[in-house]
Amino acid sequence: MTKKKLTIALAGNANVGKSVIFNQLTGLHQHIGNWPGKTVEKAEGTLHFKGYEIDIIDLPGIYSLSTYSLEELVSREYIAVERPDLVINVVDASVLERNLFFTLQLTELETPMVIALNQVDIAKKKGIEIDYEKLGQTLGVPVVPTVAIRGIGVYKLLEAALETIEKEESKPRQTTYGEEIEERIEKIVSLVEKIGFKYPARWTVVKLLEGDEEVEKEVSKKNPDILPIVKKMAEEIEEIHGHSCSTVVTSERYELAGRIAREVQQIMPAAKPSTSQRLHDLTTHRVFGYLLMAATVLSIFYAIFTFGGYASTFLNDVFYSWEPIFENVLGKGILGELVWGGVEGIVAGVTVALPYIAPFYFLLYVLEDSGYLSRVAFLMDVAMHKIGLHGKAFIPAMLAYGCNVPACLGCRIMETRRERLLAAFVVTMIPCAATTVVVLGLVGTFVSIEWAMILYIIDLVIIFLLGRVAFKALPGEPTELIMEMHEYRLPHLKTVVSQTWFRLEEFIKIAFPLIVVSSLVIKSMEILGFLELISDALSPVTVGWLGLRPEIGISLIFGVLRKELTLIMLAALLEPAGLGVLTPVQMVVFALVTMLYIPCVATIAAFVKEFGWTKASFITISRIIFAISIGGIAFRILSLSKIL
Amino acid sequence: MELPLTALKDGESGIITSVKASPGHGGGRGWGFQKRLMDMGLTPGTKVMVVKSAPFHGPIEVHVRGSSLALGRGMAERILVAIDK
Repeated sequence: MTKKKLTIALAGNANVGKSVIFNQLTGLHQHIGNWPGKTVEKAEGTLHFKGYEIDIIDLPGIYSLSTYSLEELVSREYIAVERPDLVINVVDASVLERNLFFTLQLTELETPMVIALNQVDIAKKKGIEIDYEKLGQTLGVPVVPTVAIRGIGVYKLLEAALETIEKEESKPRQTTYGEEIEERIEKIVSLVEKIGFKYPARWTVVKLLEGDEEVEKEVSKKNPDILPIVKKMAEEIEEIHGHSCSTVVTSERYELAGRIAREVQQIMPAAKPSTSQRLHDLTTHRVFGYLLMAATVLSIFYAIFTFGGYASTFLNDVFYSWEPIFENVLGKGILGELVWGGVEGIVAGVTVALPYIAPFYFLLYVLEDSGYLSRVAFLMDVAMHKIGLHGKAFIPAMLAYGCNVPACLGCRIMETRRERLLAAFVVTMIPCAATTVVVLGLVGTFVSIEWAMILYIIDLVIIFLLGRVAFKALPGEPTELIMEMHEYRLPHLKTVVSQTWFRLEEFIKIAFPLIVVSSLVIKSMEILGFLELISDALSPVTVGWLGLRPEIGISLIFGVLRKELTLIMLAALLEPAGLGVLTPVQMVVFALVTMLYIPCVATIAAFVKEFGWTKASFITISRIIFAISIGGIAFRILSLSKIL
Repeated sequence: MELPLTALKDGESGIITSVKASPGHGGGRGWGFQKRLMDMGLTPGTKVMVVKSAPFHGPIEVHVRGSSLALGRGMAERILVAIDK
């Protein structure tokens, strides 16, 4: 028997438990990639149920179907053009009105749908009781109450979904606007119907009235007469209401959402504030909020570096104990050395990725899922504003202290392209775990811990100043923070683990091939004796301008692979005397240059993936020039002032 | 009385009367900004309560339509409200 195939899309606001439902439905059979040609994530999974093979698509969490963000555009195109068999609209029962606003927009897309009324437990704690049957009748859509993190209602949800698909002929009830709007829609809808547009005709008219630029453009291409008529109608509506037509349409939609919410829910305010509420008050408090944030961030770093350092050394020891075996098999010839070079690259990738990045991601996803990160974004908004970003950018910035690669990809949480680029520019300057190893291992050990701290402060000041320059130089207006702070809740372990896993997979895909290839290139140069030539060629810069030793040219080249290699290589090159032969000034200058000079090859790859070659090369080259200039200046100041 | 949202003290509420377009830019991003506020439920006629504001002229937290929103200060300044007695 061949299985019948179905496609179901999950749609809803951010943080409503959509990805938890996705995980409950698909288990391990899932795949995360990008929407074709877009830097928007696409999560897909399969499920077998009652003789069907069901493809589940998790759409991005959004609040509307306008063109404010790429995510919104991707979602509405998917629903309208790809036409999934059904859309499951995941609704947060504790914030019904806002969620219904999105539900109404989905019904306007005339797609068959089922509502998962999720987090009914959280709603209950807030004193909200919802008559879900009445909600279903009002909307003309089946409603299934669920508590996704405990798997409650998920089976019923699937049954309801299949029933709806099998019934066919099940369009949800349409939103009715005010008379003056409805009259006008009616006048023009037949004209729009004739052009055979990808979106439903009525929805298209409403979007035209709202002034949706994308729809305007495409409709004009098909029939240029429509736009002027609609514009005139929009002006008439504006005259009646005194607000722009787009405002009127959105208001009416919200009014309807509010009316439905009031009809189906009963709110009994709790006698005392809930735990979630008290936690919220504390974590956004003007004093305690910051203290708690500092404590959280510091303990995460402490945990990661302690655990990571331990695990990394352990993995390294295991791998290097295999070196003799390799030598036996491959011999000590050129081939053997080359292959070992490649293996070393992979080893390095593993010893950084597993011990540092995996736990970092895991903890951040726990914090994000629980709702804490949105509070951090609220607290950090002011600071991020100084460099033209808003509070949400603090999240990739934190990630960057672990590793720049995920941080660069994490800049997708910013709404516009401009903001993403600006955030990525800033986060790829932040010293990652590997850079920290260099600074602490060299300056912290041989000079003093104070000097290591001073370097960090100087680096932060430089990042801040360069961020400001970039913010002023990039055309466009900064977007401001506008973010929902949902109720605190327990994170769902399985979802957090699978999110961590997919991030790790992404990192491996980007970083590993590059690390291996460039390890091979450098190893070949070493075998061919090119490295000496290069260090000689670089000596006017390394020795003349920076006041360092000629060996440093080579170690800086190795540092492009991974930053901590600068130190490892330098120690090897300076044998037998060791790192101690460097003067304190040389150590400080060297660490400063290592911090600034170039993002590692994996970060550059992530940058290319997100923003293209031109921007990546421009940033890489200007960073090298900048780092060398600053390094030389620092060398002169430090030598003249004799403070070291 | 019409005031910008930022003039309200913690715990005070008002009804949104209008949202000023962003200064200096006609259309384009200005439209996006207004649309975004509307989409998040800050439509004229809506009741908003200021819960608290972050220090150093930070964003403000507002309660609107049963949910909690963080709004950048610059954005909040452009939202005009009428205070109810």
